[in-house]
Amino acid sequence: MARVKSKWTYLIITVLVAFLILIPFDWFLGQYTLLMTLIGIHTMLTVGLCLLLGYTGQVSLGQAVFYGTGAYISAVLSKTYGVNPWLAMLIAAAATGAFAYVIGYPIFRLRGNYLAVATLALGVIVYILFMQLGPGGPDGMAGIPYLSIGGFVFDNSFKRYFLVWFFCLAVLLISQNIVRSRTGRALRAIHGSEAASESIGVNVDQFKVKIFVLSAIYASLAGSLFAHSMAHISPSTFDPLASVVIVVMAVIGGLASIWGAIFGAATIIILKNELLLGFGEWDIVIYGLILMLVMIFMPEGLFVRLRDIFDRWRLRYAQIGAEP
Amino acid sequence: MSESILETKSLSKAFGGLVALDRVDLAIEAGTIAAIIGPNGAGKTTLFNLITGVYPASDGEILFQGTPLKDTPSHKRAALGIARTFQNVLLFGNMTVLENIMTGQHPRSSYGFLGAALRLPKAQREEETINLNAMKYLNMVGLGTYAQQNALSLPLGQQKLLAIARALATEPQLLLLDEPGAGLNKLEKQELSDLIRRIREIGISVILVEHDMPLVMGLAEWVIVLDSGQKIAEGTAAQIQKDPRVISAYLGEEVE
Amino acid sequence: MSADQFLQYLISGLTMGSIYALVGLGFTMIYAVTRIINFAQGEFVMLGGMLSFYLISSTGIPLVPALILSVLTATSIGAIMYILAIRTARRASVVSLIIITIGAAVFFRGIAGEVFPWGVDIVRPPYFTGSESISFLGAYIHPQALWIIGTTLVVMVLLHLFLSYTMVGKALKACAISPVAAGMVGINPKAMALIAFTLAAALGGIGGVVMAPLTLTYYSVGFMLGLKGFVAASIGGFKSPIATVVGGFTLGIVESLAVGVDWGPFTSAYKDVIAMIVLLLILLIRSGRLAAEERAG
Repeated sequence: MARVKSKWTYLIITVLVAFLILIPFDWFLGQYTLLMTLIGIHTMLTVGLCLLLGYTGQVSLGQAVFYGTGAYISAVLSKTYGVNPWLAMLIAAAATGAFAYVIGYPIFRLRGNYLAVATLALGVIVYILFMQLGPGGPDGMAGIPYLSIGGFVFDNSFKRYFLVWFFCLAVLLISQNIVRSRTGRALRAIHGSEAASESIGVNVDQFKVKIFVLSAIYASLAGSLFAHSMAHISPSTFDPLASVVIVVMAVIGGLASIWGAIFGAATIIILKNELLLGFGEWDIVIYGLILMLVMIFMPEGLFVRLRDIFDRWRLRYAQIGAEP
Repeated sequence: MSESILETKSLSKAFGGLVALDRVDLAIEAGTIAAIIGPNGAGKTTLFNLITGVYPASDGEILFQGTPLKDTPSHKRAALGIARTFQNVLLFGNMTVLENIMTGQHPRSSYGFLGAALRLPKAQREEETINLNAMKYLNMVGLGTYAQQNALSLPLGQQKLLAIARALATEPQLLLLDEPGAGLNKLEKQELSDLIRRIREIGISVILVEHDMPLVMGLAEWVIVLDSGQKIAEGTAAQIQKDPRVISAYLGEEVE
Repeated sequence: MSADQFLQYLISGLTMGSIYALVGLGFTMIYAVTRIINFAQGEFVMLGGMLSFYLISSTGIPLVPALILSVLTATSIGAIMYILAIRTARRASVVSLIIITIGAAVFFRGIAGEVFPWGVDIVRPPYFTGSESISFLGAYIHPQALWIIGTTLVVMVLLHLFLSYTMVGKALKACAISPVAAGMVGINPKAMALIAFTLAAALGGIGGVVMAPLTLTYYSVGFMLGLKGFVAASIGGFKSPIATVVGGFTLGIVESLAVGVDWGPFTSAYKDVIAMIVLLLILLIRSGRLAAEERAG
């Protein structure tokens, strides 16, 4: 549903964009550059899942699979075969998308419960394949080349921050464009009523697969960017638990919420890297609690619920202001 | 004799052991307002579901404008020209009134993910057309002032009009209305009848399933009566009202 | 592979299969009665084993009371999980329930990794009756393995009798066939769900205490165990205790033989992949059957 934009919305957007641009500077919040870069990457992972969950009502426990294939294909092509990293990234995205397309149709024939298990099983298989067949095995591979444009190499965290956020914002804007279009309406229709959607000519099965492929491509791009930024990848980043963590981010961000994905990714990344450092397994205890509490009390997602509360507060404030 | 818009030949549907439709033969002329009536459980909604492809028939065939529908999947039938409303309305609650109608334009537009993602010129042009057409149907059913409201914020009577507008937006040649009058008051039913006549005037054939006899008798030019999955009578409204088989089928049923 | 080797693989397959069966029984119980897939099922097994080790090693409680206490604790946790997490999510969608049970699973796993004094280390409770493997037709079988297989069979029989001959059991079965119809004859679906969850947790706990001495246990063992238990239940079609146990044995033996055959580049590291492929195949067949039903109307 298109929300009414107000002066507030534009103000918030301007502040956030300025904030985003200034962060990597040392005199501002430069020490958080890597953290913010990770948030950007995880936002790309989350927004695809938000769309999938929000518009098809399907939960995929396999986002990490596509994250991993994007990373590994891009890494191997560029390091072992000398392919230009940009081209490697593109090939990885295409291959991942094709893979998602092929498994999409059979997977979406399974309803809710079974689909979750199928994606989980897939996650296990692919993780073991990464461990056994991935170059470097469980230790992963290093020396992955950086991305570069002409002579300009993205070889430090400052430059990579802007690279990642360029892609992240592009993904978010593209998602926004899709949601506000005929395609987005078809997706929202599917979420509203599959039977009614079919009656107005929406090929429900095909749309579900397409959004699955889109989320896989987003994840692949995130994986490639991760590989070419960290220069080193290992299978443990792409294990089944990683898929669960992405679900946590999506749940916080809100189903069908695009910009909420930043909120979800940021919450968990900050939690993991700043607040819970050295706290062992307590991070997954918190993930578990978040999943349970949010889905029990705010199934539409935390960010969406907060946004609705903010909207209602704003309406009441506007009404008070309008009193003669 | 004008061409028939819809024909069924020996159409049957069984769910496991339960026979919902039993060898039903129909022929409805283009440009007609037809009604399908019958006691509860007669198979009326099942018939609609077969025509729109919700599930396949167990036997028999359906011909739309002379072409068999058998292998056409459900979502392609809207593009062919068959539209419907549902008994339980099934509006899209996560959209505004106008957006609901815009979804109806889906089979008459074509831009996809790429056009949407990059806001290509063709996509933007189609969006404008979709918007204009949706406004047209919105005004046709009289909901013009509610365009930006959430679809479910409307009272039931207006929700049903919205559902009809959404179906009209698919630019059909055949419109199936499943109990459009249920839950409406007298005034709303009158407006509904007027709307259905206007729909017929722009060249759309209408078939309605209804329980409200006065509504049906005042509106329908051709009435088909189903009972327990079988067609027991058909004819003009006047003929049906006097048919003893129809009367006895409704015995024990509340006649309004 | 020689006959002796084959028998050895068969025995280990039956042993692991029994474990999968015990986990699977919990899945079948909850799914049949409530249509929920409880992603936390494997964690009940983990808790059973971990609790038994804790009680035996850290307190002076003798073996049998420690085992009983472990199972009872796991059972209570299952009941609490249902009351606090599942029942409060009234009219939650399938997706919400999936995420809630995943949340519970992850929660239990994290707590287990932090609360027990040995943290994330692997631990092994003592064997029930000694550690001398028994020679049997050219192969060896460990007494604990006999405990595992025996417990599984006894549990299967008891469950079958319970479901077929007791009032509560028959009520559970009624819910499994049709919750709506069961509701109409006065069966309270919420009470049945609570019983199903409690029973499943008990089954998990029993599985955990009986297998931990042989297979070791650690905080994250619940994940793969749960998945494989789910595979066992799927093979059995979520229909009955006997079907689930057959499913478990099937999976265990297939896995064991596949590892034993050991061909080409595929080493035993791929053992888990086999179970996952079996799972995907079953889901594919099931969805194919579902699609065919829809086509036939």
